[in-house]
Amino acid sequence: MKKVLVAGLALVLLVTMTTGLALADKVQITWWHAMSGPRLDVVNSIVAGFNASHPTIELKALYTGTYPETLTKFIAAYRSHNAPNIVQVYEVGTQTMLDSHAVTPVYQIPGMLGETWDWAQYVIPITHYYSTAGNLWSMPFNSSTAILYYNKDLFAKAGLDPNKPPTTWKEVEAYGQKLLASGVTKHVLSFGWPGWIFEQMFAYHNQLFANNNNGRTGLATQVLFNGAFGQMVLSTWTRLAKEGIFLYGGPEYSANQAFEAGQIAMLIQSTSSLAGIEQGSQFKVGTGFLPRFEGYPRGNSVIGGGSLWITKGQSKAQLEAVWEFLKYLAQTDVAVQWHKGTGYFPTVNSAVQELLTEGWFSKDQNYLTAFLQILSGRRDTPAATGVRLGPFVQIRELERTAIEQAVSGTMSPKAALDAAAQKANELLQQYKQVNG
Amino acid sequence: MTRKTRNKVLTHTILITLVLIIAFPVIYALITSTLSFKQTYAYPPQLIPGTQLWQNIVAAWNRASLGRLFLNSSLISIVVAIVKIVLSLMAAFAYTHFRFRGRSLLFPMTMVTQMLPLPVRILPTYQLMADFHWINSYYALMFPFFASTTGILLFRQFFMTVPRDLSDAARVDGTSPMRYFFQILIPISKTNIAALFVIEFIFMWSQYLWPLIITTTKNMRVIQIGIKMLLASEQQVPEWNVIMAGAIIAMLPPLVVLVLLRKSFAQGIAMQSEK
Amino acid sequence: MQEERFPGHPFLPYLLILPSVAVIVIFLVVPFIQSARGSFFMTSAFGTRTIYVGLRNYIALFHSSYYLHSVLTTLIFAGFVIIIGLAISLAIGLLLNQKIRWQGFYQVALIWTYALSPAVAGTIWALMFAPATGIVPFVVARLFGGYVLNWMTDGQVALLVVSAAATWKMLGYNIIFFLAGLQNIPKELLEAARVDGAGPWRVFWKITFPMLSPTTTFLLFVNMLYAFFQVFGLIDIMTQGGPGNATNILVYKLYRDAFIYMNSGSADAQSVIIFIVIAAAAVVQLRVATRKAVYAR
Repeated sequence: MKKVLVAGLALVLLVTMTTGLALADKVQITWWHAMSGPRLDVVNSIVAGFNASHPTIELKALYTGTYPETLTKFIAAYRSHNAPNIVQVYEVGTQTMLDSHAVTPVYQIPGMLGETWDWAQYVIPITHYYSTAGNLWSMPFNSSTAILYYNKDLFAKAGLDPNKPPTTWKEVEAYGQKLLASGVTKHVLSFGWPGWIFEQMFAYHNQLFANNNNGRTGLATQVLFNGAFGQMVLSTWTRLAKEGIFLYGGPEYSANQAFEAGQIAMLIQSTSSLAGIEQGSQFKVGTGFLPRFEGYPRGNSVIGGGSLWITKGQSKAQLEAVWEFLKYLAQTDVAVQWHKGTGYFPTVNSAVQELLTEGWFSKDQNYLTAFLQILSGRRDTPAATGVRLGPFVQIRELERTAIEQAVSGTMSPKAALDAAAQKANELLQQYKQVNG
Repeated sequence: MTRKTRNKVLTHTILITLVLIIAFPVIYALITSTLSFKQTYAYPPQLIPGTQLWQNIVAAWNRASLGRLFLNSSLISIVVAIVKIVLSLMAAFAYTHFRFRGRSLLFPMTMVTQMLPLPVRILPTYQLMADFHWINSYYALMFPFFASTTGILLFRQFFMTVPRDLSDAARVDGTSPMRYFFQILIPISKTNIAALFVIEFIFMWSQYLWPLIITTTKNMRVIQIGIKMLLASEQQVPEWNVIMAGAIIAMLPPLVVLVLLRKSFAQGIAMQSEK
Repeated sequence: MQEERFPGHPFLPYLLILPSVAVIVIFLVVPFIQSARGSFFMTSAFGTRTIYVGLRNYIALFHSSYYLHSVLTTLIFAGFVIIIGLAISLAIGLLLNQKIRWQGFYQVALIWTYALSPAVAGTIWALMFAPATGIVPFVVARLFGGYVLNWMTDGQVALLVVSAAATWKMLGYNIIFFLAGLQNIPKELLEAARVDGAGPWRVFWKITFPMLSPTTTFLLFVNMLYAFFQVFGLIDIMTQGGPGNATNILVYKLYRDAFIYMNSGSADAQSVIIFIVIAAAAVVQLRVATRKAVYAR
């Protein structure tokens, strides 16, 4: 039996070692990311393109699981001194990374290498999201935002103009009543990522979500989402739920199923779902800006997704290689390739230009909606840029729970928000105590 | 009909009904695995098998690299089951055939294993793996599972019932303890070994939480995580036909092990609960 | 107790237990002690800062409505899995423990769910209950006038579905052990009771059930471990603790606090609390088992 064991372990050892062989001479850098499925193919082709055009560098990109898994593994690896050079972190992990003492801010890298770099070439609402005091800390990579999707066929059947999506929540309600009355659907509207959509409403109407300028001038210590604006938003949604218009669809992408099956006529969801929804639906898909609440100021929709962080303490050669890669990602053709393959925003202005001149958007107007939405919004206030929180993952789930409790009628909107805010504030205090 | 036959008919009817109810979820899964993607979204749901089984299996196999994951799961399940059996045999032999200082202290300690399932020590164990540079390796997948209370108890119970004459005879013949262990004790423990193999193989094959956090790359994943990966397909609407094909691949090995070894397994369990 | 069967080998027994003890110390005891130690600290995600907080992690847990809710959810879930699961399994075990034809077939046909993993069981049940397309919501809607069964949005339904799935998966295991236990009850005892004129119901409660108590206690403990820990895969695949924390059992909350929220101090405290509960149950289980062993000698 022991022999079997020894043989087994030897086999294991052999397998693990042979996968580790690599070429000498080249500067080796690794990148851990969370892109799977079709996105993984695009990542791999970009990496292949980079390696082919940079013969002295060997970039290895590794899919390391979901966002939380990737971050956990990065932390463990950093603590035991074998972290990768680049890691992709989701937007809710931004504050954690800022406080990590484990990264080299992106804006410092050109200076460290004796170069200069034009930061204005990036799309501003995106870089703002990842900037602190005007300096970019991580390189935006996969950026999306939320838009309204609607079912043009159902709109037409209910006697609505299929080319006119609702622009305000009042219109959403009126359209909803019409859709219900016509009997084409049992419910009208659902969301993906409920907590994120709730945050979107704040930024979209230029309302602060947390104190200290949305946690952008100092660590946030108090959330503001249970104030008058938050209560108004959640009360509206609760009313829509009572009228049968709003159907709570669960977290993340679970609501897509009902939309694609034609059970609801409208869906508020991340732009990263666009390709999937267009493929999975048997009807004509329309898109529009997020609905507005009348009488509130204009803000902007928030960027979601992830960015690339650079591990601290690399050799100069490695840092140069990393920087080459970040520059490569800013090339127009690469940014265009990334957008076309995944639906994420291209991060440089030149790529947006290129896509416009080449007529990419006239083929499918839906891809333009999100651009117009973020480019037409304001970019100069912390409220419109989006909130930054330490324990963000947890607080976003508290928001989601509050929304679930309110729309299902188990708690009043105010009570649900107050309970969530109280817990969130405790978490913020704790975070500040440990990280402040 | 006599009362007796009526009772018999009734018993059989109940049992067959139970068999069908218990099997229904898996039958439904099997049917789904033969449908096309469109058919899985038909309303009302379709209960007639389709013709896409092979395509679905191929799709699941390719999409989640199930081949590699299948090998990983088989490897770790077999190695862990064998190591656990070996270690438990050795420990149980020591506890039942020798008197040594600290025995009364060490035995309860080995029982503690049962009280320390992975979740109650998960963070430090994870950090330990990181410190060993074992993250994303077979070592990390296997080592934390090598202790087995069930095994030690099972073999201890059995060894205690082995007649003393057997070991006395061996000793008088001048047989060394280890030879007695290998040539007499282990052969008569075959049934128990088979029972423990079934238990530990299924236990390891089903592991989910630890592989989920400790592996980082696709080639180190296990088959349970493969199912999760199939569920989170990029279309964002579950492709049930493909997912079910994957689930069926994942359920086969433990089922085969259980069915093949069921006689010894049942005997081993019976012996164990005899005490 | 055991006598020495091979005197004169002072080192051999230590060598024999060394591997087991080494594994237990390195991978179980030491990490657990570190968990216990960590529960008195608050640490930043990257471990760059650590503050001693005494019992504050524990106090915070017992003041947290989320934690208490998770405790309650775990109790309901485990209660369902244990009580309903064991009752059904025992009934099936009694049915099987008769002289009937095709017994071998029935045995295999009723115990095979043991071989399924919680993750696979969860996947299959998620398919059956898929809100828009599954067979069960369809049947429910037909039977109850269009009632929309959606466990993705209705917490109580979710908890029920998850509990039922977990119970189903464990039936096979429980039946195996009950059957083994039943077959070990001396037939003469049952005969004697029947001769004395006791009905089947009375025989069951006076003889069968008490004689089964070691098996039942053992299964109670195993099912508790199952409902506390092994169902992780099932929960992760089916509900991820939702909707609205309705299925956020302790092990799932622990995982999220440790690996997603990066609250290692709180996660360690939760580990210690779960350990205390399990240890208490294990002691009870061992007591009952040893008492039986004493009788057997």
